[in-house]
Amino acid sequence: MSNYIERFSTSERVLHWIVTASFFTLLLSGLGLYSRLFTGYFTFFGGGQNAILVHKIGGVIFFFSSLYMYVNHKKDISTFDQDDKEWVSQQGGYLSRKAAHFNIGKYNPGQKLFALYIAAATAVLGISGVFIWMPLLFPRWIVQISLLSHGLMFVGSIMFVIVHVYLATIGNPGTIDAMLYGDVKKNWAKKHHPKWYKQTTGDNQ
Amino acid sequence: MADTINQATRKGFLVDTSRCIGCRSCQVACKQWNKLEADKTSNKGTFENPRDLTPALYNRIKFIEKETTGGISWLFFNERCMHCGDAGCMKVCPSPGALFRTKEGIVAFNKDKCISCKYCVSACPFNIPRYGTDDKVSKCNLCTDRISGGMTPACAKACPTETLKYGVRSTLIATAKAAKKTLYGESDLNGLGVVYALEGPPERYGLPEKPSIPMSIFIWKDVIKPLGILGFWGSIGAMLLHYVTIGPKKIEDEEGGGHE
Ligand code: HEM
Ligand code: SF4
Ligand code: SF4
Ligand code: SF4
Repeated sequence: MSNYIERFSTSERVLHWIVTASFFTLLLSGLGLYSRLFTGYFTFFGGGQNAILVHKIGGVIFFFSSLYMYVNHKKDISTFDQDDKEWVSQQGGYLSRKAAHFNIGKYNPGQKLFALYIAAATAVLGISGVFIWMPLLFPRWIVQISLLSHGLMFVGSIMFVIVHVYLATIGNPGTIDAMLYGDVKKNWAKKHHPKWYKQTTGDNQ
Repeated sequence: MADTINQATRKGFLVDTSRCIGCRSCQVACKQWNKLEADKTSNKGTFENPRDLTPALYNRIKFIEKETTGGISWLFFNERCMHCGDAGCMKVCPSPGALFRTKEGIVAFNKDKCISCKYCVSACPFNIPRYGTDDKVSKCNLCTDRISGGMTPACAKACPTETLKYGVRSTLIATAKAAKKTLYGESDLNGLGVVYALEGPPERYGLPEKPSIPMSIFIWKDVIKPLGILGFWGSIGAMLLHYVTIGPKKIEDEEGGGHE
């Protein structure tokens, strides 16, 4: 029998990569707006005005795809049980070399936190983005607060995403398969998400 | 970006509001010199006209009604870009050269470099920049093309009462002080390029008592921005450190799968 089990369907993976592609497009086109240290990034887009245009289009794509992704796995990320508590109390075993085992479902609390943060950031970035897009239609204080929160949520997002990309690739070998092919090794599933493994396979080992 | 200003040679305006008769020659002269179109106006039952700065109106006279024993009289206030020493608009502008400091210490603009982000309007303590159909910044540029050739700005030249005086800022201030005027903008925001001798408290003129760059803009540019860059590299560093110290979480038994 197969060594693999399905973790994400094709449509789930496509959605994830749309979110990722739009996120990095937003990052590149937004850097020049973030600080004059990064004005050079405007040249990728042929000047600042085009970068803003790309940022607006990317923003709309990111907003809807990311929100859709949240709705999709809302039920998997909004739970918190006794096993999750155990994971948190030992920081998921990430701060020690000793092998640690946790009875984790589809996502661990770190992943849930990340997904919830991204959902919140998507909402804030999207709404503040509209005010920044049309600043003359709104009172100045709203636009000022929007500029501040847009910057703040971006900073949080990029820091979270760096951790996410690390843990999804070299930090946890085998994880990237889930997003590339959709199937992961059964051993990977048993180690990282045993409760989910048992639920999906009915396998009690 | 370094925004240095030579306070000793800095040029600017001194606006002595007590001399102003509300003739609005300055408004007209500015339009003429800067080839700005006329704005459609409407009668709102006051003498003030227009009621706000527009993309084609770089300065205007604000009429402030004042009750006196004999009826109503006015305070006249020349509203315009202040050419702040510490300019919020320049602080946030992401496009180098769109807003720039001239050798006279003026905050000038270049529409070709402006990328229409409109950050400058949010950062200006006086709500000055305006955008027309071209979607580019516009505001008083202190007639950079005139003053760089040693001429007087059009508005000051047209002013019949010497309300608007242009010259070396420190000299203008010294003269006004010798005449016992109360000055507005002498040292706020590293000194405004337009200093006013007012006839009442700043609030009466709709001016902030202590003008400053909005707090939210300060937090955005001076706190979040540097901390964000630190956080970015810090996160990458922390992940690398994790990889070489604690290391990845390997799946221990690569062979064991599939033998249930
Ligand atoms: C090169 C960039 C990226 C890579 C390699 C990557 C990889 C992965 C992988 C392998 C998973 C599955 C984890 C699992 O099976 O448990 C995943 C899940 C997820 N990804 Fe990404 N990702 C990237 C970028 C992003 C970005 C930019 C976002 C959002 C802004 C994002 C949001 C998510 C979310 C919300 C999940 C669900 C699980 C969780 O909350 O951790 N990803 N990603
Ligand atoms: S008044 Fe506003 S537009 Fe003029 S220099 Fe100051 S911040 Fe810039
Ligand atoms: S609108 Fe133009 S001048 Fe104003 S901040 Fe943006 S690029 Fe600079
Ligand atoms: S200095 Fe020149 S641009 Fe500025 S208000 Fe006077 S005439 Fe207009």
